[in-house]
Amino acid sequence: MARYGMLINTKKCIGCYACRVACQRQNDLLPTEDFIRYEEKETGTYPTVRVETVPLQCMHCEDAPCAAVCPTGAAYIGADGIVQVDHGRCIGCKYCMAACPYQVRVFNEETGTVDKCRFCTVSAETSGTKMCSCVEACLTGARLFGDLDDPESDIAQEIAATNAQPIAGDLTKAKIFYVR
Amino acid sequence: MSEHAITRRSFLAGSAGAVGLAATAGYMGFGAWEQAHAAGGWRREVTTAHSLCNSCSSKCGFTGYVEDGRLTKMIGDVDHPYCEGTLCARGYGYASIAYSEDRLTDPLKKNDKGEFEAISWDQAYSEIAEKVKAIISSNGPEALAMVQDPRPSGSYYTKRFMQALGSANVYTHGAACNLSKNSGFTQAIGAGDYASDVANSKMTMFIGRSYADAIRPSSVHDLQRARENGAYIVLVDPRCNNTITLADEWVPINPGTDLALVLAMSNVLIKNGLYDKDFVAENGIGFDEWAAAIADHTPQWAEGITGIPASTIERLAVRFAECAPAASIEPSWRGAFGCSYANSGETARAICLFNTLLGCWNQKGGALFLPSVSAGEVDAEKFPAVPKPEGKILGSEEYPLALSSMGVNVILADKAREGAVKGLFFYNSNMAAGYANPDYLAESFSNLDLMVAIDVQMSETCMLADYVLPDTSYLERLELPEFVGGKVPAVTLRDRVIEKVHPNTKPVDEIFSELAEACGVGEYFQFTVDELADAQLRTVGLSLEGLRQAGGTARFPEKEYSYGAAVKWKTPTGKVQFSSEACEKAGLSPVPVWVEPRTKPAGGNQFRVIGGKQAIHTHTQTANIEPLMEITKKYNLERVWMNADRAAQLGIADGDEVEVSNEEHTGRVRVKVTQRINPEALYVPSHYGCTSPDQHTAYNIGLRQMDFVPFSIEPGYGGACTQEAIVTVKKAGA
Repeated sequence: MARYGMLINTKKCIGCYACRVACQRQNDLLPTEDFIRYEEKETGTYPTVRVETVPLQCMHCEDAPCAAVCPTGAAYIGADGIVQVDHGRCIGCKYCMAACPYQVRVFNEETGTVDKCRFCTVSAETSGTKMCSCVEACLTGARLFGDLDDPESDIAQEIAATNAQPIAGDLTKAKIFYVR
Repeated sequence: MSEHAITRRSFLAGSAGAVGLAATAGYMGFGAWEQAHAAGGWRREVTTAHSLCNSCSSKCGFTGYVEDGRLTKMIGDVDHPYCEGTLCARGYGYASIAYSEDRLTDPLKKNDKGEFEAISWDQAYSEIAEKVKAIISSNGPEALAMVQDPRPSGSYYTKRFMQALGSANVYTHGAACNLSKNSGFTQAIGAGDYASDVANSKMTMFIGRSYADAIRPSSVHDLQRARENGAYIVLVDPRCNNTITLADEWVPINPGTDLALVLAMSNVLIKNGLYDKDFVAENGIGFDEWAAAIADHTPQWAEGITGIPASTIERLAVRFAECAPAASIEPSWRGAFGCSYANSGETARAICLFNTLLGCWNQKGGALFLPSVSAGEVDAEKFPAVPKPEGKILGSEEYPLALSSMGVNVILADKAREGAVKGLFFYNSNMAAGYANPDYLAESFSNLDLMVAIDVQMSETCMLADYVLPDTSYLERLELPEFVGGKVPAVTLRDRVIEKVHPNTKPVDEIFSELAEACGVGEYFQFTVDELADAQLRTVGLSLEGLRQAGGTARFPEKEYSYGAAVKWKTPTGKVQFSSEACEKAGLSPVPVWVEPRTKPAGGNQFRVIGGKQAIHTHTQTANIEPLMEITKKYNLERVWMNADRAAQLGIADGDEVEVSNEEHTGRVRVKVTQRINPEALYVPSHYGCTSPDQHTAYNIGLRQMDFVPFSIEPGYGGACTQEAIVTVKKAGA
């Protein structure tokens, strides 16, 4: 079975928010439901200054704190390793939001449930998008999605070539890898 | 609307099996039930249509997916030359305008109390027509004018309507955008614009333009290709804009002094004989005169004005020469010299002359004149030609260098004050908030006998109008074909994606056709937009249905650009004009030399206000779009930017609320203290400070740049001088 993951190259990220808004449009989310959030880091002193934008979203951790704390089993890891939310079971207690070290779970005020990035590629291919909405939308190709276990996949090769790492090391066995 | 039946397999359906495995607690949650049913085969009919985005002027092509009559996904069209398969955040977000709760839904008339009342279209047409006729009979048709931000149908119908009434006064938003730049270019090279071959360049310099903020997707792709090819990319901007990720060097110039930089780099090339002498001798006129005039415009001289070390100016100029002819200064758009300063037109002229020194015109990696295609003559009986109005567009006497295709819209304020203009129409234009000082404009427009605004939401311009007519959103209408120039020119189509959301709104073609009928000039509008679109496309070997079937974009490969073609300069002299007679007649130097900006901050607590786009907004038109404004709110993007050293001197910390003040206006906003901005500049994002309470998302967020800009017009060129504004800043309450 595939072990899906993503690579984000912040050296290519121009901080344009296209991934966030594309994700909302293609997945029919509320304007306040942001599955992708951003940390901006400015380094150096005038006029020698650099800017880094780091997009963060559900890391689909293999050791997922959200699933561990969820009292109802609404937050769980699917058979394909994608961390999911069963909205029928979610009671909106927000334990998962508090537990997520990346702070990328969002509360839907209309449904009273929690939601987050779904690695939407797996399903989206028949209705427009061929790939995760954020991957497709990225203007600079900063994102890759694929099977981490397939040594032939673009993502596996790019991770090897760039030594990309999860944002917080091996904290939760996250499956989003960053080039910084 | 082309229709494809597509089986929609929901995201959740694919994972339903996994849910079953996880649901081992002994019950099936509602989510799992819903997912199981989805897997059981909901089959929905999905329709698609190709359209053009309306969130900025690039008008990128996309495929809209519609389920149960509602827009769902948007996919950028791979074939569209500006989009190349990717849209920007604005594009995805702006589509929600169709469903905005703040849409205008009925024609409105302002009553004696100053409140708007809904009226019928018939009443609106007949009352507007009555006033139009009265103005024409008392003051002539030249007392009527139109301001519009060009869109495919809007450009055609607004102009045709005004010409049918006998008025030449059709203005674009240009005076507050790129009028000075395009007019300056025209004086030097006889063309209003050119394209830098960024992707194939060895060096490209951007002055005030940021591809990563004012996004056109294909431009971002080109810049990436340039980087992959090893090009040296330089950003000249008082603000370290977001393009820095794709650039090699930020040159933090003092705002308003780009002209000095360009002249000093030219000086270096000429003094050291590093320019293309053969090209200049063959193509130029007045070179010696210019060379003599800028002999003292040395890097050392420019250092004192621009704040850029002389050694940097020298280095950049020499590097340009080494990279030539695969190098150029990129033409920019609004940026630093589209309309910003008293020297913007001259900056544009100087940039063309610098590129001429590089001999880069029509060279691979240089500055190109790309081909375009336009519609030919259509059936004169069905679509009769409108007689050309006798008068010239107002403002052409006062600002003789301004391109008449754009016109100096801001002069309408003074013409309204003088009583020379009595009736004003606005289409897709929020002039009152975005073009010049809002208070000055409001006071000027109060003198009008008739003011009509056509828009999708209650803009500040609508608020001033006597009549407000509700437009359909861009998703709800077919428009005339849009021709796009490029290496392979194209024609594109904005087709109807969804049905009208509000039944009493009307598309621009209907509004002006029906208004023309009421005004007694309906004979020029006896056709539908479908018929005209089809007729125009047939003149280039296509048809409306054919273009739909082709996916909304068709190319003209027989017109493909090739490098190296000699340029036919369309100037009065047939040469690149280092010296311009028209500029001299307009009271400027015949050859471009240093011109001071009108204003300069004096230090202390004074700053120059600079504007500029953020990647999620376009002018004021997107501020009321919830998915986009949510980003502004979450990341506090409405904050003004201040240099960290200046902030420390003034006792201002990041996140503090500050009071920004000058003779025009005082306002409060929080500040972003950053290393990313020149000490002289205060960046005020150009999108905020909405004063229309009916725009519930945008209202009262942030400052409006234009509130601080005194009303003034650039000599000769007619630009709105949108960055000739000095303010004082202090910590709020201090």
